[in-house]
Formats: sequence, structure tokens, C-alpha cells
Amino acid sequence: MRIGLLTEGGYPYVSGDARLWCDRLVRGLEQHEFDIYALSRSERQEDEGWVELPPQVSRVRTAPLWTAEDDGVGYGRRARRRFAECYGELAAALCAGGSEESSVAEADRFANALYGLAELARDEGGLVGALRSETAVRALERACRAPGARRTAREARVPDLLAVAAHLEQALRPLSLDWYEDDGLGAVDLCHATSGGPAALPGLLAHHFGGVPLLVTEYGVRLRTHYLADTESTPAVRSLLAAFHGRLAAEIYGRAAIITPGNTHARRWQERCGADREKLRTVYPGMETSRFAEVGESPECADPDTLVWVGRVEPTKDLISLLHAFAEIRKEEPKTRLGIVGAPSGAEGTAYLGHCKALAAQLFPDEAEGLHAVGDNPVSFEEIGGPEVPSLAEAYASGAVTVLSSVVEGFPISLVEAMLCGRATVSTDVGAVVEVIGGTGLVVPPRNPRALAEACVALLRDPERRERLGAAARARALELFTVEQNITAFHGIYLEIVSRTPVHRVVLDDTGEPLPFAAPAEAHVPGRWTEHSARVVARGGPGWAAGPPVRATTPVAATEGAAG
Amino acid sequence: MSDLGELDLPGTPGSPGAWDPQSEEWLVTETALRDGPAEAPGDRATQTTGRKPAPVPGRRTAVDPVKALMHRHRELCERAVDPLEIAAGLEAHGVTDRTATRFRHRDVFSLAEEMYARIPRDADTPPPPTPRATPRARADWALLTLLPGAACAATAVAIHLTQGQSRLIAAVVGALAVSLALRAALSRGPLAMPDRTHPTGTATQTCWLVAYAALGDGLLRAAVTGGPDALPTGAADAPWPLATAPVLALTLACAPAAWSAHLFAVRVRPKLTASRGLEEFAASVRPLLLGTFSLHLCALTTLLALCATALNEPGAYAQATTLGALLFLARLLTTHGFTHAPPLVLTVTATAQATALATVFAARLPGCAFLSTPVEALVATWGPGSVQALACGIGALTLLIHATRKLTRASAHAQPEHPC
Repeated sequence: MRIGLLTEGGYPYVSGDARLWCDRLVRGLEQHEFDIYALSRSERQEDEGWVELPPQVSRVRTAPLWTAEDDGVGYGRRARRRFAECYGELAAALCAGGSEESSVAEADRFANALYGLAELARDEGGLVGALRSETAVRALERACRAPGARRTAREARVPDLLAVAAHLEQALRPLSLDWYEDDGLGAVDLCHATSGGPAALPGLLAHHFGGVPLLVTEYGVRLRTHYLADTESTPAVRSLLAAFHGRLAAEIYGRAAIITPGNTHARRWQERCGADREKLRTVYPGMETSRFAEVGESPECADPDTLVWVGRVEPTKDLISLLHAFAEIRKEEPKTRLGIVGAPSGAEGTAYLGHCKALAAQLFPDEAEGLHAVGDNPVSFEEIGGPEVPSLAEAYASGAVTVLSSVVEGFPISLVEAMLCGRATVSTDVGAVVEVIGGTGLVVPPRNPRALAEACVALLRDPERRERLGAAARARALELFTVEQNITAFHGIYLEIVSRTPVHRVVLDDTGEPLPFAAPAEAHVPGRWTEHSARVVARGGPGWAAGPPVRATTPVAATEGAAG
Repeated sequence: MSDLGELDLPGTPGSPGAWDPQSEEWLVTETALRDGPAEAPGDRATQTTGRKPAPVPGRRTAVDPVKALMHRHRELCERAVDPLEIAAGLEAHGVTDRTATRFRHRDVFSLAEEMYARIPRDADTPPPPTPRATPRARADWALLTLLPGAACAATAVAIHLTQGQSRLIAAVVGALAVSLALRAALSRGPLAMPDRTHPTGTATQTCWLVAYAALGDGLLRAAVTGGPDALPTGAADAPWPLATAPVLALTLACAPAAWSAHLFAVRVRPKLTASRGLEEFAASVRPLLLGTFSLHLCALTTLLALCATALNEPGAYAQATTLGALLFLARLLTTHGFTHAPPLVLTVTATAQATALATVFAARLPGCAFLSTPVEALVATWGPGSVQALACGIGALTLLIHATRKLTRASAHAQPEHPC
């Protein structure tokens, strides 16, 4: 099977997001061919180069999202009118007030306008110039002043219109790419978008132009990221852009064959944005388990009186609350020690770490074993790679109980690592914590040091329970959060999608006759099943293969089976 | 109980009209909910009111926790343009579905919807438009725009002081220096091209036009009277004279051109921010554009008069001002991203001048005398400068009309994008 992997600011760039996951996926599914279509996010990213690609990556095509070459094509009268119509529809769909019954019609209008623009770009080129032109700004103004436009859109002033037009031009850059021809995305069996938003847009167009099924994986919901990122602009701009991204997300979810959220949180957002529940398959991110194997299989090496916190030091991790909880714990169990392992992130994190250290010094005086020994603080601050904790696994190994005290959390990686190390955990009920931990650890409300302290004390006093919970946690993590399960899940999903899609490529032999079963969904034999000289044509290539899919029961199926 | 609950309806006395129907619906359901089996703190709170019906300020948070939440996240609520934005913001502050159940909501989304519906909208005045960063005058381009004038003045002095071969060398070196200085002056500041556009290739046409301004009129006069018999010597009183004054004035005018363009950009910004519609913007920019244009013309005429006096040459006002106007408008259009019309108009103007010259020479061929009739008529009526003045004037007028249509568009003044 040939898979078009669509990324935006990610794989195969060295500094890309989620490149590790993509790399494992591509290397793990070596029975498939991968074509990578990457959108780069900045010039620096492009300059930094690519990661090393495995042989199953047959081609890489890249395009910049951070800049657009105006190809200088001026539209003729007819193309101009077509552009004005499509863009006007798009603008009208964005400005329309959000009443429930009209939203279906508006979504349809948005989709039609989007595909209209894509077709225009494919036929005539030069969409970049048109999107920046006065026609676009005028269309936006007309839509904003139209009756029935939402309140925030009506307030749009000239700079707002310009800002919206510029942002739309940027967001619609994938429309101008030449990826959708029969030798590009038209030739792949399946598009796998590694995130929503701009990365999925080429997949959406490939689905529109060539009927290529689309799989969308979202570990973080792009729409939510957009809401959190865009806080500076005026209400009119934000409202229009939110409408654009919302409608685009809805269209992507609507057209995708399967959507794989990375956790329940992402799943809820996708459902909220119109994703069909039947299409959603949660696929948890996979973690490298081998480095935790040694620690996980020897739970007895832990110091029974030590609590460990591991992570990046930032204010949202609420270490203050952890320190207060530790003060409570010390009242019950005076021999307990706390290890805080992690590096601060950014200037804010550094300041926060300093604050935490000061608080720890204030709350807990240094202690010594006897009158003549040198004492130290029961709370230690370490960084991975220091003399005390050479590796991440050692960090978890040093404590009997791992504590997570965050007030805000996405997918808690450090919790999964602790589970893989077979450590009993106490965590706050934030983000995906409950979903990850299942019943294999204690969960307390956030910002509640007393509850945190009580849970920790309960575990410190009960080694048997600790061991039981730790073993259960490790078993759960090995079941759910390994690289293998992640790859297996995607493998299954690929096959599922392809099994529901008509054969996409037709292989012709030397005489021009179709070779049935020549392009198998997956090949486990080394080399190829068919000769290399066989010609591969995308659907829509030869005239006889261009018709609608042929039913297997009709008499012609014997000869045209490959096309049906 | 339900009566008591209604007593505590949040904000009822202050702004009852501020909520929309959706929030009122919610209030009814919330009251109904509150009557059902509630959790312990809520029970305690209602019992307290049972004894003391007067609303206690501190109690409100217990009965209307959403209001307290809205107060805590008031910036988020004021800013939000739709419920999902509030939901995203709440989640970023650690509110989860389990937190939302404390506010008697199924999930964060429905909590956010309630908060969005309850945002008071009456007092909503759109925030005053914040003026965008205006381009600042900077020393680098201000100094650079003086360079071509200085180089040209030096060349003019050198030509006046030298003779023969060395004068030729001085002229060639001077022309080279002036063109390099021009390139530097146009590389930054208000006359610089935004880097996203391709080079437009107007250099050749500009060189021709300036060369014609220096030598063209003399050549035409000589040609009409049967010359030229010798190459130009560089002297103003030679049979083929060199007109230094218009060239010097034009190169000196780089500085006023840059300042005019800068002034235009600076004055357009507030108009852009203040305009409600595109028509309004166009109407307010048109006088600005014409003002900028006349300002530049005035500066050019003044410079021309000064140069003519200093060099003791005829001014050639019509030719030089039209050429200056043409070049200024072409540059102004190019810097705003309209790269199609300026090269075209410049080419047409240069071609017209070249054709005029060519017809005069072609008329010397046997039987082609009629070719030079229009040019000779022009020269006879208004002098040899009229060809240049006419060509450049028509070009400048075309570009001026084009500019009043194109430069009054808002899209021409969009901020250049910042590569992220």
C-alpha cells in the first residue's frame, strides 16, 4: 500500500513536531510505501534539514507555508469572476450568524467555496495573488456588511478585513500546490494527516480530486491550539478566523474516513466540532518501553521512604502545592524524603524553580543523622544527567511513590513513564490522568495538598499495596502505551480503510491488460510481486478505468475487476 | 425553596436586560436543579437562607458558582468570540469535565456555553482601534537618498573642470557612481521594494529616460537642423549640448521623493485604522495621494530652478518635471506591489522618444521625408524639448490615473507579512 503521510512543521524536519512518532510509524510499517508531503513552518526549519529517512520512504515533497511565491499569473475576466464568486461564498459562510438550523447549509456552502477555489487554483494557478487582491478584501467587506452577518463581523474595520484576508491567504496556501495530480497525491492509496488544520487540507483536496481516503490523527486539536494562540487580534478578526478554522475542522472531520484522537480530551473536541462518533478511534501515543524494563522488573530496589516528582518545572505543575503536601506528610512520616527531578523550561520556569527552592528551604530545615554529621534538606532538586540521577529510569527508580501535582496537564507522559517503571503513583485529577491511570494509582483533586498528603501517606505505610498498584500500572502501560500497540493500531486502521475503498491503482501488464491483485494492500515478501516494468496508472488514467466502480457480480467483473 | 432560589438570581437587580433568552432558560433549569438532591455544601447554604432570607453578599458564590467563575476568568469572557474559545481557555486553566460537574454541567463545553451566553453585551463598545506601527524615519535611508545627488553634483563639477579625454572618463565614472548610488538609495527606506516581489526590470528604461534628458534634446535639435556633426563634448554650448541641470535636479530629487513617499505611508496609516469601509478609505486616501504628488513636484521644480541657476543652464522645466513625476509615480506604484503598469508605461515612453529620434533620421532616406513631419512640426512650434515633455507628460498622467485607482485600495497598504 502506498501511504501519503501529510505533515505540517513536523516529520521529516529535524526540528519538527511529533517527528519521533512519525519516524517510529514509518519504520514500524516497513511493508508499506510512504510518500511524505511536508509543509514547513519556517525558513529556519527548512535550513536545519531532515532526519534520516528509512528506505520505505519513496519520495518526499515539501512546500513552505511561511512564504508564498506569487507566480505573477493574472486572471482573465472569467477566472476573476469565478474567483470573486468562490471567495464571496467563502466569506459569506464565515460571516453568517451561527443559528443551529442554518449551520448545515453554511457548512455546505463553505465546502463548496473551498473546493471551488481549489479547482480554480488547479485550472488557472495564481491563487496567491488573487487571495491578496482587492477583490478578496471587497468580498470580505460585502460579506461582513450583509444582512444576517454576526455581530462581531459587522464591526470589522478596514485593518480587520486586511488582517483576515492575509490570514486566509496564508491558510489557503496548500490550495496552490501541485500535489494533487495523478503522479502526486492522486497516486497514493491513503492519505494520513499527522495533524488537523493545514496538514489535513492537502488530504481533503486529494479526497476531493482523486477520491483518496483520508485518515486524520490528532494528538492535540488544532482548533483548540488556534483559539489559545490567537489572543491579540481584534474581536472581528478572531471571530472570522475562528469561524474559518471551525468550519475547516468540521469539513476535515466530515470527509475523513477515520479520525484517531490521541486521548479522550482530543476526542471530545473532535466530537464537539462535528466528528462522527463511528469514525473515531482513540490511539494512544506509544512510548519506548525498553529503557524502563530493568527498573520496572525490579520494584524492590526503591527506597521505601522517598517520593519522586519528575517533569519539566513550570508553574502549571504546582510544585508549591506538592511542597505543602510534603509538609503534611512529614508530620505523619518524619523520615520521608522528596526528590524533585527536572529542568526548568524557559525564564518563567527558572523563576518558579527558584521560588520552589526558597519555599522548600523555608518549610524544611536541613537535617542530619547525628550531632556530628553534615545535614541536608529532605527535599532535593535534581536534573536528569546529574550525578544522583544519571537517567530518567534511575529517577523513577529512586522513589517508592511517584507524585504528579499538576493543575493543568495534557497527556501526562511522566505518569506513563512511572507506570512503565512499575511505581505506585499519586496524581491530581487533571487532563488525561484518569484515562491513563485507570484504576492502577491514586487520584486526588488538584490544588488540594491535604488530599495529596493523605494519599501519599496511605501508600507509604502500605508496601504491599504499593507493589500491587505498581505491578498493575506496569501491566496497564505495557498494554496501552507502547510503540508496538500504536503501530499495530495504525496498521489495522490502514487495512480497514483500504478494505472499504475501491482499488485505486490499476497495474497494466506488457500488453496493456490489467493485472488483478497486482497492487496488494500489503506485501510481506521481499521485493515485488509483479515485475517492475508493469505500468501503474492512477484511477482516471486510462479511459476504460475511468468509469464508476464496477460491481463484482456483474459479468464484466472478470475483466475489469481491478477497476471495480 | 424555589422562591428563595430566585431571590439569589445573580445580578437580577443590576442589569436584567443584559442577558439573552438562553441564559434565562438556564436560570430556570438551574433553579429546578437546585431543588433536587444537592451535594452537602449546597444544602447547608440553602438552610442558612431558610433562617435569614436577606441575601448575604458572601453567599452568592455558593449559589451561583458560575458567576464567580466568570469573574475569575473575566478577561477570557470579555475577549471570547464564541463558546469554544471560552472552553479552550478554561481547559488551559485546568478546568475539566469533572470540575464542570461542580457547576452542574455535563462538560466544559456546556459550561462555556452558559458563560458565553451570560456575558453582558449591552455595555459592549468596540475597543478603540489601536493604531498600527507607523514606519519611522530612519537615518540610514535618509542619508542614502542624498547619495545620488551628491554623486551627480560631483560629476557635474568634474565635467565642468575637465577637458577632452579626461572629461569623458569623468562622465563615465560619474554615471557609474550615480547609478550605484541610486541603487543603494532605492534599496531601503520608503522607496525600497518589498522583498516578496520580483525585480521588475525598470532599470533599462530609467537609464534611457535619464540619458535622453541629458542628451536627447540637443540631439533632436541637431538632427532637425541636419546634424549632428560631432559627438557631444560635454559643454553646454557645444553643437550637441549636454544638459546637466535636469539630471542633477532629478538625482537630487531622490531625497524629496523618499520623504514624500514616507509622508504618504505615515499619513495613510491613521486613515487605514480609522476607516470603517473600503470606499471611505479610498475617498480619504485620494487627496493624500494628490497632495504627496504635488509636494514632490514642487520640490522638484525648486531643485530644478536652483540647479539651473547654479550651473547657468536653461532650466528645461517641462521636460524635467514630467520625467520626475513619471519616475516618482512608477516607483511609488512598484513599492506598493503594482509591478505590472510601471515598466509598461516607462517602456512606452522610452519607445516614443526613440521613435521620435528615429523618424527624424529616417526622413533623410530618399522618399521618406514625410516621416519627420510631426516631430518637426512639434519642434518648430514648442522647441525640441516638447517631444520629451509630451512623452513623459502623457506617461505621468497615465500613471497618475492608474495610481489614483490602485493606491487608494486598502490591499495596497496591507502590512508586509512577517515570516514566522
